[in-house]
Amino acid sequence: MVQFFLESERVTELVTHLKGQKPVFAPHRKGRKSFAFERVEDAADVVLDYPRVMHSIRKFFLPPRETLMTFDLAENDFSTADVQPSDAIFFGVHSYDLGAVHRLDYNLGKGHPEKNYITRRQGAVFVGVSFEPDAYHFCGSVGIDPMDTSGFDIFLTKLLDGYIVEALTEVGEQLLNGLDLPAHEAGKPARGNFQQHIYLPQAKLNEVMAKSYDNPVWAETAEKCVGCGTCNLVCPTCYCFNVEDTVNIQATGGTRDRHWDGCMLREFTGVAGGEVFREHLADRQRHRVFRKFKYISDETGQPWCVGCGRCTAYCTAGISIVNIVNRLVGDYEKVAVTPI
Amino acid sequence: MAKPRVAIFDFTGCEGCELNQLNFEDQLLDILAHVDIVEWREAMDGHADEYDIAFVEGSLSTPDCIKRIHEVRRKAKVLVALGACAVQGGINGVKNTHPIEEVREEVYGEDKYLFPTLPALAVSSVVKVDYNVRGCPMTQLEFLKVFTALVLGKEPIEPEHSVCVECKLKENECVYARGMICLGPVTRAGCDAHCPTVGQYCTGCRGLVPEPNLKAMEEILVEHGLNVDEAWKRLQLFNANEIEGVRS
Amino acid sequence: MNQFQMASPTEARDLYSPVMAVISKVEKMTELENLYTVVLPDGAELGHKPGQFIELSIFGVGEAPFSISSSPTHRGEFELGIRRVGMLTEVLNRMEVGQKVGIRGPFGNGIDIEQFKGRDVLIVAGGIGLVPMRSIINYVIDNPDDFGKLHIVYGSRTDEDLLFTEELARWEADPKIDYHVTVDRGSLDWKGKTGVITTLIPGLELDLEKTVCCVCGPPIMYRFALLALKSKGLPERNIFMSLERRMKCGVGKCGHCQINSTYVCQDGPVYHYPDIKSLQEAL
Repeated sequence: MVQFFLESERVTELVTHLKGQKPVFAPHRKGRKSFAFERVEDAADVVLDYPRVMHSIRKFFLPPRETLMTFDLAENDFSTADVQPSDAIFFGVHSYDLGAVHRLDYNLGKGHPEKNYITRRQGAVFVGVSFEPDAYHFCGSVGIDPMDTSGFDIFLTKLLDGYIVEALTEVGEQLLNGLDLPAHEAGKPARGNFQQHIYLPQAKLNEVMAKSYDNPVWAETAEKCVGCGTCNLVCPTCYCFNVEDTVNIQATGGTRDRHWDGCMLREFTGVAGGEVFREHLADRQRHRVFRKFKYISDETGQPWCVGCGRCTAYCTAGISIVNIVNRLVGDYEKVAVTPI
Repeated sequence: MAKPRVAIFDFTGCEGCELNQLNFEDQLLDILAHVDIVEWREAMDGHADEYDIAFVEGSLSTPDCIKRIHEVRRKAKVLVALGACAVQGGINGVKNTHPIEEVREEVYGEDKYLFPTLPALAVSSVVKVDYNVRGCPMTQLEFLKVFTALVLGKEPIEPEHSVCVECKLKENECVYARGMICLGPVTRAGCDAHCPTVGQYCTGCRGLVPEPNLKAMEEILVEHGLNVDEAWKRLQLFNANEIEGVRS
Repeated sequence: MNQFQMASPTEARDLYSPVMAVISKVEKMTELENLYTVVLPDGAELGHKPGQFIELSIFGVGEAPFSISSSPTHRGEFELGIRRVGMLTEVLNRMEVGQKVGIRGPFGNGIDIEQFKGRDVLIVAGGIGLVPMRSIINYVIDNPDDFGKLHIVYGSRTDEDLLFTEELARWEADPKIDYHVTVDRGSLDWKGKTGVITTLIPGLELDLEKTVCCVCGPPIMYRFALLALKSKGLPERNIFMSLERRMKCGVGKCGHCQINSTYVCQDGPVYHYPDIKSLQEAL
């Protein structure tokens, strides 16, 4: 595969070139120190050097809120919302976030393939960018490298003064056509070191998790937790949702909408009649972590956590999923080596 | 179907919630089309003998309030508390953190014996409240939800989760990342994270989530190097009744 | 990094749109429970297995899962036994015959009839748990050649809460059915047994190897019913149970009904007991 060199100053030119072909979504500054994927209006606003965005590109395929159908109360009838393929370029995506999209492809495609998600996934082009692991990233521990190009159409690897640009698919190559870039001869740079590590690979974690249901870490974590659900809502592999009807003020009709939900919220398992099946925060903490390292992992052999560090970085209480998992590993090993 | 008869009452409060009702410029006519308003001191004269829905604003803070609320409850099929004062006691509850005699002295001086006063109470601590519209002033969005539900003969559902959920759905930058105290993590959602969305912090006006982990909340403030005493004061501002005795 | 293959757009389906079906009959069973008969457009068959559920929606109110109470042998329509608890069922209670509701489904894993064929069938139903169990009971009654003996054990809070009373009388009178009923608290008129459902199990005359059992009831009941069945000597592999959880989608996406690794809407609501006995969140 041919590699090109793109000077830092020419990133805007690349974005403009792409924007001329399809809508481009890329990281922008948001607030004081946050970043968010937004549609590019001015190529100069795009930020390629960012630690993480609050919501991964999942928000374009499974939006935080979406209308499933509109209904008419007089007619007692409905029409399904028109869902269109995204047909856009997602520019500046980190490898773990594409890994998360692939996991959602599995969950939403499995059993009953969901039209809304799969339709929006059509025509999505991914342009990746490498990143320097910060204090929260640990994707190396779940098998995702910051320079992992798999699944991307184009990948940008950060150098000191610019980027190595690789077209990895035909679509990527075509998008780069007409852009005059010099070839990149030298090799790729060394990747940055992670500051966070999970001690064991998933194959071993399966054994650890199987013995961790009654670990005291769940109750201890619950003491620090306010149950706000942030960890669920920022997780790029979470896809649980709730559905609610809203009636307009004229009381003539309304919409049936779905929005992201989270298993850390108490009402998540509540049924009419008052029963709540995961009543305690400790139960919900365990469920959240098992959703990432046990339940789907037992089925697929893969961790369902992509190591983005969001649940820890955005947790106001500073609860670290890496610390929880390592604590389970430590306790498991202690028991494993203790003679009976 | 006959239109529901609606009555609106004010107790101890600033009447901001009621004014907020009048502020539904776009929807007011639609609202009025669904109901007959039979009693509303702020907008009309006269009294009614019974009503399907009573909206009650303000906390209960005098013996007269207690008498009146019993009467309202007797005449109303459904009673809805409007706004923080009615739902939790609201800002008036700050008074409850001081000895009642001191409060009377401070406010009325020599005439204090002319003004009997009680601790400011949530309406629900005296009579049964069927539904809440929370917030200071009451959240318009929630009022419309509760209102349309009642008009359609449905039961409005109150969210149990915190404001953080709504901030996340809107991808708001966390208020803590901006270095401010925010009560969002323990405050009941339903306002669509109004204040954090416009760059403010959450004041907790909608009351606490069920079973709030206030100890963890305190830890969060300490971890972020924020002033814990200041945070408790803010929490007290709208939730004095709810956190009474929680912090030793 | 492993990639997961996404389903192709041609396989994708609109999972959330209901079919509008007519309520053709409403029968009041108790103070809280009604039996609704529902007819799909053009009298289409629902095509369900006993033990499955549907999602019923009323626009402007919402959607919720309900067990199908009629047997697939009951053609041209289906029945839902619904307790009035919460907003949707309140509004449903006020609806009239001829009005339409949205139906999605059938969903979930019902009874695997093939596994039941040639066996004696024991139904243990507590309270509203009789609603899904009735689909199995009537299936067995309608296919007498396929099954051995039918035992029905039914417990209710009071005699006023007993569901399907006319059918209960028929089952009781049927010499081919071994029918037992008990109530926790009987009224003055109650002449039957009083006590919790598990008190009925020790006295049953069962062919233990030949009997398959299906249990459904309130969450608290399962553990005690299991204890009673096991001490009776019924092998675990002969026990099935139908579980209830919160559900929104019915198609394994929304996450609400998950019990440890299993989704009730996909792998349940009817589970083979050995498959869930190690799931801490199940019982």
